Amino acid sequence: MYNDDKSTSYGNAEIGAGFRHRFVVVLHRAALVNSSMNKGILGLLTWLAPLALALPLRAAEVTVFAAASLTESLQEIAASYETQSADRILFNFSASSTLARQIEEGAPADVFFSADEAKMDRLETKGLILRKTRKSILSNSLVIVVAADRGAAIERPGDLATDRVKRLALAEPNTVPAGIYAKEYLRKEGLWSAVEGKVVPMENVRGALAAVESGNAEAGIVYKTDAAVSRTVKIACQIPAADTPDIRYPAAVVAGSKQTGAATAFLEFLASEKAGNVFGKRGFVVLKPGSPP
Amino acid sequence: MTAAEWQIVWFTAWVAALSSLAILPAGLAAAWLLARRDWPGKSVLETLISLPLVLPPVATGLILLQLFGRRGAIGGFLHDRLDLDVVFTWRGVLLALSVMSMPLLVRSARVAFEEVDPRLEQIARTLGAGNLRVFYTITLPLAARGIIGGMILAFARALGEFGATIMVAGNIPGRTSTLSLAIYQNVQLGDDAHAFRLLGVSVALAFIAVWGSELLLRTSRQKP
Amino acid sequence: MSLLLRHVRLALGTFNLELDAELHGRITAVLGPSGAGKTSLMELVAGLRRPQSAFIQLGDRVLTDTARGVDLATRHRGIGYVPQDLALFPQLSVRQNLRYGRRAGGEADSLFGFERIVELLEIQPLLHRGVTELSGGEKQRVALARALLASPRLLLLDEPLSSLDAKLRARILPCLARIRDEFQLPILYVTHDRFEALSIADEMVVLIDGRVAQTGTAQEVFSRPANLDVAGLFTVETVQTGRIVNLADDLATVAVGSTLLTAVGRNLPANTREVYVCIRAEDVILLKGGDSPSSARNHLAATVKSVSREGPFVRVDVDCGFPLTVLLTRRAREEMAIEPGDRVVALVKAPQIHLIPRPA
Repeated sequence: MYNDDKSTSYGNAEIGAGFRHRFVVVLHRAALVNSSMNKGILGLLTWLAPLALALPLRAAEVTVFAAASLTESLQEIAASYETQSADRILFNFSASSTLARQIEEGAPADVFFSADEAKMDRLETKGLILRKTRKSILSNSLVIVVAADRGAAIERPGDLATDRVKRLALAEPNTVPAGIYAKEYLRKEGLWSAVEGKVVPMENVRGALAAVESGNAEAGIVYKTDAAVSRTVKIACQIPAADTPDIRYPAAVVAGSKQTGAATAFLEFLASEKAGNVFGKRGFVVLKPGSPP
Repeated sequence: MTAAEWQIVWFTAWVAALSSLAILPAGLAAAWLLARRDWPGKSVLETLISLPLVLPPVATGLILLQLFGRRGAIGGFLHDRLDLDVVFTWRGVLLALSVMSMPLLVRSARVAFEEVDPRLEQIARTLGAGNLRVFYTITLPLAARGIIGGMILAFARALGEFGATIMVAGNIPGRTSTLSLAIYQNVQLGDDAHAFRLLGVSVALAFIAVWGSELLLRTSRQKP
Repeated sequence: MSLLLRHVRLALGTFNLELDAELHGRITAVLGPSGAGKTSLMELVAGLRRPQSAFIQLGDRVLTDTARGVDLATRHRGIGYVPQDLALFPQLSVRQNLRYGRRAGGEADSLFGFERIVELLEIQPLLHRGVTELSGGEKQRVALARALLASPRLLLLDEPLSSLDAKLRARILPCLARIRDEFQLPILYVTHDRFEALSIADEMVVLIDGRVAQTGTAQEVFSRPANLDVAGLFTVETVQTGRIVNLADDLATVAVGSTLLTAVGRNLPANTREVYVCIRAEDVILLKGGDSPSSARNHLAATVKSVSREGPFVRVDVDCGFPLTVLLTRRAREEMAIEPGDRVVALVKAPQIHLIPRPA
């Protein structure tokens, strides 16, 4: 539902950009030597050939598996990135749990940007990511949302336990990060047993958002950044960061990637100040670089 | 198999069975109309009935979600006036299964009705039978085999329904979780053992359904 | 009870069924070649077909009146219909089929007793059998009984005997006669067999190409076909063109080629000259070896052209100035030793030469 509108094609294996680059440089140097010794058509051709080789050089396609809550931010960041690099970014947005599972099954991802550390840890234990590239980039906060018009009257989190809320939309509370965070919070507040029977588990956090938007659930717990994206829900309560578990969004290059160079380059960009501005503008908390992974 | 897993099996089986019964009145009526009557715009009904068969199940699910959600045309009425919710409840599952399996029943029943010699119905009328009596004593008994075959097809389809169900009813454990939804979720969770157990039950259920239908067809063939 | 059919018009593909008739007979035969519209007429009366226009009244009950939008539903018409394919309900037993037309718990108002009809049609032993196990004749009788047990006011039979062999026909025909007598039930009987019609019907309607070619008593229609088509239906073997040369005292002298015949010229339009001359083969008597005075007005000298067997009969084609077909019994032919080439005299009575006006 929230996938990038760019095609999520898991591209064919192609000659690594790095190798091609080196090949062209060598040819070029050879041509320079040649032309200085023997000016003429042959020399000209040898000078031109490497250029000709360089022209149809295919830019790398970097496939990024990212948490659904990052959809708008990453699309904006990728557009900006593509103006300064020849590489193209393809996205697959879904619940981090689903993405992790897909990577475990061998899906051809280059970068994994998860909404919690647990999924990344799981992949790291199995050696499926390049540990050295892993970094925690973002944090987020949770909010309770209700429909913008005719929404239920929720003033405090405790109101979720009243019968004003018959259904509470969460991302799947056992697998999807947003759901796990929400469940931990509710448990800490002693609300979980009261609301457990009302939970409607959705496939990812955007599904929970949609359920509240359509009025089919009176309330939902989503990220603050998700609430910002929707015009038909409003924030009923902001959940203070102190009360929620630590929300961290780690990213890493996938071990099976066929263009680790381009993937790493994009990852660097994600951690850059430019990207940070976009994230911050949309409501994410940008972690300082060097934060412990 | 845990208690929760048995609950899923039991729930799936009875909602599928209930849906096969629920679609009978409308399904038979539509099939009879299509078989015996002609009117301008008949193809509209034919297309409408075939839609769930041809559209991707999630697309049908989306349409149902729009109609039966709390803000939808039908769902809104049910919620506001009758305090009845469809989406995210077992009724949503029943709705999804019914809509997705109805075309199969209608197709089989239509053919069955068309194969009843209209001459027999005419003669019944000369003997004084009204339309309802003709239907119950002549048309229905002679079409019974085809109709039952259609019901079994519908039941099998309902057992395996996924796309529309997950849209309209979600996958709420203990409340709307069906076999196919549960298998999907377990695969997502990485709980393959669990998924395979449920898969085994699905296969067993499918066998029972097919074997049962063969039995029914065989005994009905022996009737005078 | 009379059946009125007025201004009936029904489109039937290549032609229209159009008729105006009043039927009063107890058994009325509807005769005609296949495709003439006989079955459609039945269906119209039964209410199974809607005509473009019609006024149909049975006794005192109006069944159809298109002018006033009256179209009584089939089930209220009280008309028993036995179609050609019988249409017995295969999923019901014989007894259940029979009882189908009985109104629930309405034994008292049934006109025809169950036991009586079962006895009349001799179907007692069949009652508990399945319909699909019955033979052709048994099915016919069950279908008939079923229609009767619904207490109809009119019975429509569509070629009831056509699929039966001669023996069965001989058994069932009297049943129909008994039904007619015992239940006083008017019957409309479709057939293409003229002898069958003759043997049972007191009134006949000839339908050709959707139109009534002739109505009348069976005898009338049979012996005096109104036009060539009807005559053809009754397979008059000899039909020749002729010209009336003299008409006096109801006796007409007709010239067929150079042969002169004396025929009865009743009911001919005033200035008829050109006619068809129809002579039935069975109406001709052959004399061999010399002539003698007889009451027959026509003594025609003839030569035998061919002799051929036709079942129990022998067909003898002679030339008496025009081709004439004669039907003899085998015995007669043997006794007279008729062979091709023999000289004979053909005797035909004047009333047996039938004249049909011919368009000039």
